[in-house]
Amino acid sequence: MSKKGIQSKDPHVLNLVKIVGVDPVRKSILYKKEDLLAYDCDGFTLRKHLPRAVVFPKNTAEVAAIVTYCHENDLPFLARGAGTGLSGGAIPLNGEVIISMVRMKKLLSVDFENRRAVVEPGFVNLKLTNSISDKGYYYAPDPSSQYCCTIGGNVAENAGGAHCLKYGVTTNHILGLEVVLPNGKVIEIGKDGVPDQPGYDLLGLLTGSEGTLGIVTKITVRILKNPEGKQTVLAYFDKVADGSKAVSDIISAGIVPAALEMMDKTAIEGVEAAAFPVGHPKDIEAVLLIEVDGIAAGLDEQINQILAVCNSNNVREVKAAQSEQERAKWWANRKTGFGAMGAISPDYIVQDGVIPRSKLPEVLKRINEISEEFSLRIANIFHAGDGNLHPLVLFDARIPGESEKALEAGSLCLKACADVGGTITGEHGVGIEKREEMRFVFTDEEIIAQTEIRQVFNSKNLLNAGKLFPSPGRCVEVKNEIAAAAAK
Amino acid sequence: MITAEILTELKAFFPENQWTESESDEHLYGNGGKITVFPQTEMEITSLVKYAYETNKKVNVVGGGTKRGFGGTDNTADLLLSLENYKGVVEHEPGDMTVTVRAGTTFQEIQDYLLEFNQKIPLDPFLPAQATIGGILAANDSGPKRLGYGSARDAVIGLRVVYPDGSVIRSGGKVVKNVAGYDMNKLFIGAMGTLGILSEVTVKLRPIPKYESLMLLKFSEQKMEDARKFAVHLLDTVIEPVALEMMNPSLSAKFFRERVYTLVIGLEDVESSVKYQEEFVQKLQPSGTELVILHQEEAKSFWNDFYRNVPNGAVRPVDAQTEAIVKIGTVNLKVIEILQECQLLQDSHNLLIEAHGGLGHGLSQAVLRGAKEDIVSAIYSLREKAAKANGYVVVKHLPSALREKANVWGDKQPYQFLLEGIKAKIDPNRVLNPGRFVGGI
Repeated sequence: MSKKGIQSKDPHVLNLVKIVGVDPVRKSILYKKEDLLAYDCDGFTLRKHLPRAVVFPKNTAEVAAIVTYCHENDLPFLARGAGTGLSGGAIPLNGEVIISMVRMKKLLSVDFENRRAVVEPGFVNLKLTNSISDKGYYYAPDPSSQYCCTIGGNVAENAGGAHCLKYGVTTNHILGLEVVLPNGKVIEIGKDGVPDQPGYDLLGLLTGSEGTLGIVTKITVRILKNPEGKQTVLAYFDKVADGSKAVSDIISAGIVPAALEMMDKTAIEGVEAAAFPVGHPKDIEAVLLIEVDGIAAGLDEQINQILAVCNSNNVREVKAAQSEQERAKWWANRKTGFGAMGAISPDYIVQDGVIPRSKLPEVLKRINEISEEFSLRIANIFHAGDGNLHPLVLFDARIPGESEKALEAGSLCLKACADVGGTITGEHGVGIEKREEMRFVFTDEEIIAQTEIRQVFNSKNLLNAGKLFPSPGRCVEVKNEIAAAAAK
Repeated sequence: MITAEILTELKAFFPENQWTESESDEHLYGNGGKITVFPQTEMEITSLVKYAYETNKKVNVVGGGTKRGFGGTDNTADLLLSLENYKGVVEHEPGDMTVTVRAGTTFQEIQDYLLEFNQKIPLDPFLPAQATIGGILAANDSGPKRLGYGSARDAVIGLRVVYPDGSVIRSGGKVVKNVAGYDMNKLFIGAMGTLGILSEVTVKLRPIPKYESLMLLKFSEQKMEDARKFAVHLLDTVIEPVALEMMNPSLSAKFFRERVYTLVIGLEDVESSVKYQEEFVQKLQPSGTELVILHQEEAKSFWNDFYRNVPNGAVRPVDAQTEAIVKIGTVNLKVIEILQECQLLQDSHNLLIEAHGGLGHGLSQAVLRGAKEDIVSAIYSLREKAAKANGYVVVKHLPSALREKANVWGDKQPYQFLLEGIKAKIDPNRVLNPGRFVGGI
């Protein structure tokens, strides 16, 4: 007991306390089993492991000191934001020291003239937009969890959202980062948010590296001016094939919608049974939620074109939002879509495949077959405009063997995406969940090419080990064997 | 001697009509090779690279040659691998709004092909008729419209890269949203070919805008405070220009025969939206300024001339004077100060400096013409000015003899060890474009 109130026999915990101090109001470290239980997983709940401790640094210097300590003492560690990640990126598989960024949650500065803001990693995504909306600005990446997820976590996962069809994902909006490297050294990349700094694009490499290359402690983001106008349309289709054809036709007509979302029959059943029903007809096969934004004077023309496309694809009904409230209601219905599955199924797994838009009908058919093969319902919620599918496999974990079945069905959905030239994750990340599925899209050599880059940053592999790549070591071993054989 | 050796070895695996020996005189812009090879397939590229890797040869890579003057201290490597015969569209599904092309395809060839489908690559690099897509990405070239459409890092979704050991590594994919594994695409964009040879490139497309116009707002040199205020105000309105580029008086003089600062406001959208924005801007026009509006073909033709108005590393300048291009990065509105500095340096250094910069993205570019000592000295002054604004200067084009003096990439960053670490992992033998990049990478 080196500090008042800390009752741990773990010398590392005692040493970490020396770094973060003892806070009389809020705990700066958790180390008791009952406290650690809340940190044994994130938004992916099928794998769990207790961390060694959870520390809550207040600033970059404390993060650097914690990381240096872990590095010198060979302690596995990882960073965590709000814990909303859906692929298990923040699960302490190796009993990591979790460095929680939630106390570093300040909006440090906003520079409207140069359209950028600087935030700490624990700052909540939606709070940024809320903080600047009075001046007519917003932060574009809008993952469905934006009311609680942190921008630090968004950077780690390269988070997307419903509006990335037109505005891009997180990586397109990050201008600068302060990073604590896995050895505790602090670097600043994209200084002052100035674009195209000489050198390899470390900003781009770090964004989406799922917390395996460094811990971000300060983020410079681009902010955008609110579009002058927005128009939102709902379109109901009796046949899912007509809905997907309409998606393709809208894009082919040269329209770049801000969002183009689709839900199938099962998904509609879910959202209508949950907290934000909007009265979608129960007997349709697909609903499209289409939004265009930009200069108000140009929107009518685009909406008319969209209506014409829907009509020529046998739409049953199509309607435009008459008020901001109505629009907000439609979006709440869509954005809470994953959670809504809880209303019609005890458990569900969210998948996150991406396909070339033109393959939509083919892949939907395959997902249907998988659903039948496994006798599990699969609801589909897509960012249809950019081909990002979220098949939701519904199951009941209380039935022995059904979780495994659901996982396998989910994996096959990803295989179906990969088989048509798509990929296994568009915005949720690989984490623990899709490590093996990486083989659907990359060869061993290509995976090694990536782990080699990790080596440059994270040479001891103490930071978030075991994530992103399939059976770590195996490919390297294979490579070493090949090298050894070649040497003989 | 070495050349003869390489030739003998090449004969064993490479078609004889696909190489040439270089003439003895050194290229003004360097980055050449004793033997130039012209592979036509990815397999030929990999076999050449594997050969170089195994026999410890150095390889420079070239596309259209427009960027021969960009980086690099060695005038000649063992091989100059030219991708100019490795071209064409590999895959294009119009409904997917993506295209896959071979790296040696010129930008113009791709845009011409896509025009038929009412689509385009949303980039606006310089010298589109000569520059290849591979070179544009390797050098991360961009133009004024990056304000509206983003830059190469925003457009590229997948690459096939020939690694320095001759293996082919794919990064990204063919879909517009992808977070599987590290975003390795980013590593190769702007890497100046020091990590691998881009073989196939997949990019996102945009529809051709239905209507475009260009508003040219002219400010006299004394009115630059007004110009700044106007730009700040415009950026705070709902107007969505795809370009908001300020041209300095020397560049304006070339295009419009007037020595004034010209703010180029590019508008692209459906016609009703463009017209609305024109009227909106007209209402804000500051007093004492002149406004000209170009529509459709006139606007297109301005841009075509604009992208051609830079020196080309594949061509020797017509007279004895030296030419340079520099890229200056600052925060957005510091661009005005950079352009003013260019104008001052032009007078103090007896140079012609044509410069422009984006008030919505913070990148400026200046073409300098004059005596070589004056150019190098002006580059240093500009770098000092940029550094005060937390910015940087990179020299994109300069004869090779001057490049060391001009310190092409500026000083090393504190994280240079990471850049060197990445290079060492991917290209430990320093086979590809040795010395071309930051800090001698």
